[in-house]
Amino acid sequence: MTEPSNTDRKVTSLRELPQSIEPPHDLWPGIEARLGAIPAAADGATPAQRRAVRMRWLAAAAMVACVAIGVWVGRGLLPGTAGSGVVAVNTNPPQAVQPPVNAVPHEVYVSDPRYQEQRAALVRGLQARLAALPPAERDKVTASLQAIEKAKADLEQALGHDPSNALLQELLVNTYQDEMRVLTDVHEASDPGRGI
Amino acid sequence: MPHEQAEDTRVDWEGALVQRARTGDRRAFERLYREHAGRVYGLCLRMTRDPQLAEDCTQDTFINAWRALGKFETRSSLSTWLHRIAINVSLAKRRKSGRVESSPEEEEGAACEWTLETPVEVHEIESAIGELPEGARDALVLHALYGYSHIEAAHMLGIAEGTCKAQLHRARKLLRERLSVEVN
Repeated sequence: MTEPSNTDRKVTSLRELPQSIEPPHDLWPGIEARLGAIPAAADGATPAQRRAVRMRWLAAAAMVACVAIGVWVGRGLLPGTAGSGVVAVNTNPPQAVQPPVNAVPHEVYVSDPRYQEQRAALVRGLQARLAALPPAERDKVTASLQAIEKAKADLEQALGHDPSNALLQELLVNTYQDEMRVLTDVHEASDPGRGI
Repeated sequence: MPHEQAEDTRVDWEGALVQRARTGDRRAFERLYREHAGRVYGLCLRMTRDPQLAEDCTQDTFINAWRALGKFETRSSLSTWLHRIAINVSLAKRRKSGRVESSPEEEEGAACEWTLETPVEVHEIESAIGELPEGARDALVLHALYGYSHIEAAHMLGIAEGTCKAQLHRARKLLRERLSVEVN
């Protein structure tokens, strides 16, 4: 049996024994290789159902990111609110979100011109494609995009305060990717014979 | 940042990572793996006593978790959920390898603090725990090391609460004999 570090230490309670024991080597590569053959949790449905599930999770993920950023900013980063437990929530619609004072430019994270071109093309046709969707789906997509927009703004603001935070940077890039997925889904869904 | 606030923030991030993993984001799932691998491997190792088997169990735990992420309720503890999966995987592997032993008769088991009358070196205790019969070891690890209640530990192991208490009673008795120290 692999023993935990510091095994010569003396203890008087079993609770003092280490709960965590690091595996002798990194198991992630093996896990990741096996994940490739497994459908994601949301799979196993029709393409339309899959898109609907994905849309729901994207919206939920964006909302969770908003709340997490709000807690993060409200607790420790905004002047005068450290430790107050106040959650900073921006209730403005996405088009009214003002650029934060210390915001880090998007281009720092998403500077690939191919991405910019693809996104611009998808955004150009967005309104027309939204109009082609059933009202319920349109509302869902709009809510998702608003949540993502807000998550982006909150993440950029948080990064303005903590530019070297790797997790924030990753979440921001993930949020951009989420936005592209939604835009692509809308694009595909409004094609004849397809639906969200 | 005070510990309590740091813990709250960590939980928020974990929720966000779970949501992302549910959409198929493997990077998010890897972060969850990095966060929980040690505790999962530690539990599997203590249940199987076999480093190679514990590695297999740890891998299977995260594979099963990936498959079942859609069923995970984000308001509950991810750590506890992963532990449940790890226990099921470990028990199944043990059954498959033919290492199954019968449960003892149910008997009265007292509430346990699991303190030692005199200090004992970690490796000595780990060794003594490793030598316990499987049923007693499982109950002890979950209850005394990981802090689950009798009911929680019994539920996780798929046994009656009384059986769990009996196993703990047995574990205490055996530890006392093997460590030559009073276990309270």
